[in-house]
Amino acid sequence: MSIIFLVLLCHSSVFAQMERQRVTTDGPVEDLFLSGSIVGISTATALPARNMNTMVMHNFGLVSGGLNQFFGLDAGAAVRLGIDYGISDRLDIGIGRTGLEDVVDLRTKYVVLEQLKSDKIPVQVALKGNIGIATDTERRFEYSFTERLNYLFSVMVARKFSDKVSLQITPMVSHHNTVVKELPDEQLYNTLFGIGLSGRYKLNLRNALAFEFLPVIGSRNSNTNNHLALSYEIDTGGHVFQLFFMTGRWFTEQHLLARTTNDFMDLDFRFGFNINRFFGL
Amino acid sequence: MKYLLIPILFLFCCTEAYTQSFYTEDGTAIFHSEVPLHTFSGQSDYLTGKINLENGIVDFYIDLTTLETGISKRDRDMKETLETDKYPFAEFYGEMTTPFDPDSTKPQNVTVKGTFKIHGVEKETTYSGTLQKVPEGLKLEANWILRLEDYDIVPPSLLFVKVDQEQKIEINALLSPVEN
Repeated sequence: MSIIFLVLLCHSSVFAQMERQRVTTDGPVEDLFLSGSIVGISTATALPARNMNTMVMHNFGLVSGGLNQFFGLDAGAAVRLGIDYGISDRLDIGIGRTGLEDVVDLRTKYVVLEQLKSDKIPVQVALKGNIGIATDTERRFEYSFTERLNYLFSVMVARKFSDKVSLQITPMVSHHNTVVKELPDEQLYNTLFGIGLSGRYKLNLRNALAFEFLPVIGSRNSNTNNHLALSYEIDTGGHVFQLFFMTGRWFTEQHLLARTTNDFMDLDFRFGFNINRFFGL
Repeated sequence: MKYLLIPILFLFCCTEAYTQSFYTEDGTAIFHSEVPLHTFSGQSDYLTGKINLENGIVDFYIDLTTLETGISKRDRDMKETLETDKYPFAEFYGEMTTPFDPDSTKPQNVTVKGTFKIHGVEKETTYSGTLQKVPEGLKLEANWILRLEDYDIVPPSLLFVKVDQEQKIEINALLSPVEN
């Protein structure tokens, strides 16, 4: 009897189906944010290598313009067209052009640390540099090339706390080589500091709410306010659409720090939308 | 004599199993998918499988979350389509229906018949491929067409363009001899 049992045991091990086991691989967290920026403030995510993101970013006039201006939509749109490309999984380069002052900006982003699923690295840290060149024809002054330049450097520290919640803090410094006083008692600064606060709350797989707030730290330009934006994001897979209200007029952080004059609490905000289209090349 | 027979029989069983079973957990599975004007592929290097030449049993599975297409957003869409949280594996369990000569080192055509399961749907299927005895063990190559609708998989639309129902599947694996 025991012999038969032993033979059966041997053969049952030969015939048995293997136990299915999940592959546990550590790696960077997915979908830290849905795209490379919330509205105007960049996020610590980088494009995968050989991926491209084309961006069409718009905003319109102030909603407080009322029905006469169809809540700002009748006013001209500020548009930034841009392309970012992933050189590697950690390094992006990009170029964009904003209709305001015909600013062409070159930017790069490098992810220094990637947040890991295992939490061995609990945060994602990325560095960003941006150089803007105002290429418009200024009627009053003859600007040299260097006088047309403006810069931004930021450090993005982000964490995905759960599948729904991601938060980011972004210390930044901007510098404009040229500032022009329009009023005699205006105080303008070439160099400004700010700390961006951003976040995303996923409502479901495809939709999310997001915000960004950019208080200026220290000296600030006269008659400016802190930029604030609230966004609704729709992820269709290849596209990310962002519908938002924002106080700033620009989509580059150095200009949001220096040039945001509206106050969200006075209902001085504008509607806008961004379209991000992702390609694998 | 009875007590002597038991260890002999046990050793016989084990020796037989040792020499006839082959195993891998780093095989490659690739799928090729088409949408109009565009083709993309996904790959995983975590194909796990076992072939027992003694009884002809063939057992393979893959954790579908390890498939990558090169675009993270597309990967996420694929996992959503396959409902990998609910059905994490694609798996085949069956047996060889054609003979295989383990003494030959030439590639041999083999056919397996069994159950393929993905997305929670099981189908009786027959697949063909080549199996070759190599110094390191057994080399397996196979490919077939998987129709998504057969497994209740609704292909996603990419910008209003439907992904093709037919997915070309390839597997390649080098299986090493193992004890059962």
